[in-house]
Amino acid sequence: MLKEDLIKKNPLRVLNPLSPESLPDHRMGLVMARAGLGKTAILVQIAMDSMLRGQKVLHVSVGEDLGKAKAWYDDIFKYIAEGFQLENAAEIENELMRNRMIMTFKEAAFSRPKLEERLNDLVYQNIFRPDIVVVDGYDFGEADYESIMDLKEMMAAMNVQVWFSALRHRDDDRMSAAGVPAPCHEVDGLFDTVILLQPEQDAILLDIIKDEYDSAAGKVLNLDPSTMMVKEA
Amino acid sequence: MKANLDKLRNIGISAHIDSGKTTLTERILFYTQRIHAIHEVRGKDGVGAKMDSMELEKERGITIQSAATYCNWKGHAINIIDTPGHVDFTIEVERALRVLDGAVLILCSVGGVQSQSITVNRQMTRYKVPRIVFINKCDRTGANPYRVAQQVREKLDLNAVMLQMPIGLEADLKGVVDLVTMKAIYFEGDNGEVIRETDIPAELQEEADAKREELLDAASMYSEELMEAILEGTPTEEMIQDAVRIGTLSLELVPVFVGSAYKNKGVQSMLDAVTAYLPTPKDIHNTALDLANDEKEIVLTTNAADPLVSLAFKLEDGRYGQLTYIRIYQGTIKKGDTIINSRDGKKVKIGRLVRMHSDEMEEIQEAASGDIVALFGIDCASGDTFTSQDVSVSMSSMFVPEPVISLAIIPEDNKAQINMSKALNRFTKEDPTFKTFVDHETNETIISGMGELHLEVYIERMKREYDAAVEVGQPQVAYRETITQMAEFNYTHKKQTGGSGQFGRVGGFMEPMEEEYEFVDKIVGGSIPREFISSCDKGFKKSLEKGSLAGAHITGVRVTINDGSSHNVDSSDVAFQLAARGAFREAYQKAKPVILEPIMKVAVEGPSEFQGAIMGSLNQRRGMIVGTVEEANYTSVESEVPLSEMFGYSTVLRSLTQGKAEFTMEFATYKQVPKSVAEEIIKKFEAEKQKSK
Repeated sequence: MLKEDLIKKNPLRVLNPLSPESLPDHRMGLVMARAGLGKTAILVQIAMDSMLRGQKVLHVSVGEDLGKAKAWYDDIFKYIAEGFQLENAAEIENELMRNRMIMTFKEAAFSRPKLEERLNDLVYQNIFRPDIVVVDGYDFGEADYESIMDLKEMMAAMNVQVWFSALRHRDDDRMSAAGVPAPCHEVDGLFDTVILLQPEQDAILLDIIKDEYDSAAGKVLNLDPSTMMVKEA
Repeated sequence: MKANLDKLRNIGISAHIDSGKTTLTERILFYTQRIHAIHEVRGKDGVGAKMDSMELEKERGITIQSAATYCNWKGHAINIIDTPGHVDFTIEVERALRVLDGAVLILCSVGGVQSQSITVNRQMTRYKVPRIVFINKCDRTGANPYRVAQQVREKLDLNAVMLQMPIGLEADLKGVVDLVTMKAIYFEGDNGEVIRETDIPAELQEEADAKREELLDAASMYSEELMEAILEGTPTEEMIQDAVRIGTLSLELVPVFVGSAYKNKGVQSMLDAVTAYLPTPKDIHNTALDLANDEKEIVLTTNAADPLVSLAFKLEDGRYGQLTYIRIYQGTIKKGDTIINSRDGKKVKIGRLVRMHSDEMEEIQEAASGDIVALFGIDCASGDTFTSQDVSVSMSSMFVPEPVISLAIIPEDNKAQINMSKALNRFTKEDPTFKTFVDHETNETIISGMGELHLEVYIERMKREYDAAVEVGQPQVAYRETITQMAEFNYTHKKQTGGSGQFGRVGGFMEPMEEEYEFVDKIVGGSIPREFISSCDKGFKKSLEKGSLAGAHITGVRVTINDGSSHNVDSSDVAFQLAARGAFREAYQKAKPVILEPIMKVAVEGPSEFQGAIMGSLNQRRGMIVGTVEEANYTSVESEVPLSEMFGYSTVLRSLTQGKAEFTMEFATYKQVPKSVAEEIIKKFEAEKQKSK
């Protein structure tokens, strides 16, 4: 398969159509799930799709180490390359990984000023100008409305799309009117798109509970639990 | 000779540069009474620490060669291999790890787990070396051994369990609490040699109890007996020690100790830990290849009565003459014995057998399996296996990376020329990653190795130890060439100018492949006679030596021949070799050749305030930044940078970061150079060709 086909056939097109006139650049998305359902896998696939399309991705990992984040990309790429018999896989991988940078922070070291400082370092020196930022492992339980609003404003000012992952706790039933569970129930208004991962019998359902741009209306996506790849149901 | 293997330990001391391993070794030698005064690495007394026996090491404050030394601690014999900390000397580290049974990983309580520790840890895992951790420099400002222990868990992926906790930290470091005996230990006297055990200070009792709980939890995984005793509330010291030992030997648990070698705190308890938890030679399974049986793997016995199997892991040319360090895996070696070098089958008679204490020695009559000793005046290379005459086995070959950098050296005068040859002869035997050859076109001597510093050290040693002053050329990166598509050839070599002629025709194709080179013979019907097939192979191989783009070695080519013709009289070995070379030339250009360059994995660590500057400096060097790790106020940047851009980087980094950042570099892979750079390399190569004409 050629790279172009891979982009076109990606089930994630539902969320990110190829003609993005309807989407502003600074959209903010959220993937929520309980532990171990595949939040990181989805973020990495969103990132990988953008990288394939030539966009620059900054992957921010809070609390995880660099090697683990990198391994996710390597695994997902390997799966794509083998599963879809991608032509020139080695060359494409080489080119792709140039579109990605990983920043890892220890929980206590992550904050908006820190991230802003790092992003400025990259942008002003013309080292790396991200089009999309994925933030994995951010602790919404510890964050308040203002700090997330702050992050949103910063991303909007830099004109980047941003995707967060958030961990749902089993014993916390609180939920917003729009159906967004804790710990994000009070900040759901800040997100343009919210995806909830729900385990079902033999797949994990990507329940798009909110999408301001409505590009995903009526589509059902699944996560194959054995490969962690998104597919159309 | 030591009969009791249970009381023998062969250990290595491995760590990040400057985390204090030489100081620690010095203290060990002092407490085990091998030396009678303590000298600092960069001491004011000008004597220098014992283990850094080479002058150069003393001057630079770094340890280059792994000197083996022997000492006694509470009835146990310990052989210590002091290993270098810089990645450029990785082969030394790997070689040392090979002969060790266990290791002490030293970490700095401020700097924590840094990139070199990660590399060393990976090597230890590769050679399955059980290890304990000693968190040193707890007296330094900013010391936090708990954070370092956490890093050991996260970054090194080891199940680190604290067996001690410090009493006070930084300038207040007073001693340690032993969580097995639940006693406080203080190190008193001028050099910390007087040990005083008391009850745990009341203010630390609660914390100590909690830490002991953690220790018991972890240790009980390895002993049913301990688990039951804990439930009954009666675990004994012995049970805990046995369980920790089992966990350590199985590489599933890593006991952590704390202290400060410089302030003489905690070294003796670490020695106790070496004897208590690290393996005896009997605990380790060593294997060799049976040369008489198709290199089948056999397990060595450690039995002193069995035939001798030993490995020469280090050569040294010191003031006493040539020394060969060997590790005996099986059998016994005696003065006067005749043994065999299994690489070349040569017989060697053992004249003198010595036990080394850094640069002093003790003459011995015999040594048995498990031990590390040195032989005198044996001609061999590092990595050779020595056995008794009745067996034919070889220790499996060690992993040796290909050199990535080279430079030309020109002796300043005739004397230097002679001395240089001697030095090079020695160095290449000592270090398989250091290579040398004469470039026939320029007549220059080229040396190659694993990095700039690696070569610099040998050039320095040439001057100091061999009095060979040399002029040094610009470092050259070992480029390679490869092809990117299939191309056919059909070449006839014909020559008829007096005497017997030459004739040979070869047809076929070349194509890219992963491995270095493959020759496929698909000739049917004898269009090329059998006896000339290998001539074709030889001709193609010869062509690989120098590519036409940059004069670099060509790799990744599969050549298939499927057609050809010959002449009854004029065809010969030479004719077909030349035909193959002509065919290669013809197809090579059509196969779209490209230049590859070595890419290094570069990790830079420093205070976070310099992260921007560090990333900028890597970016300027065509580096691809893989990622950054930010923790407290310390950042490490991981990147992949072409080696050709890394020359002089240490100076640049130093000035960018006020000397507060450091970097390590190791070979990662070969990648195609960008077009603009390739054009430059080709231009330079063309110019040099013109010049030499």
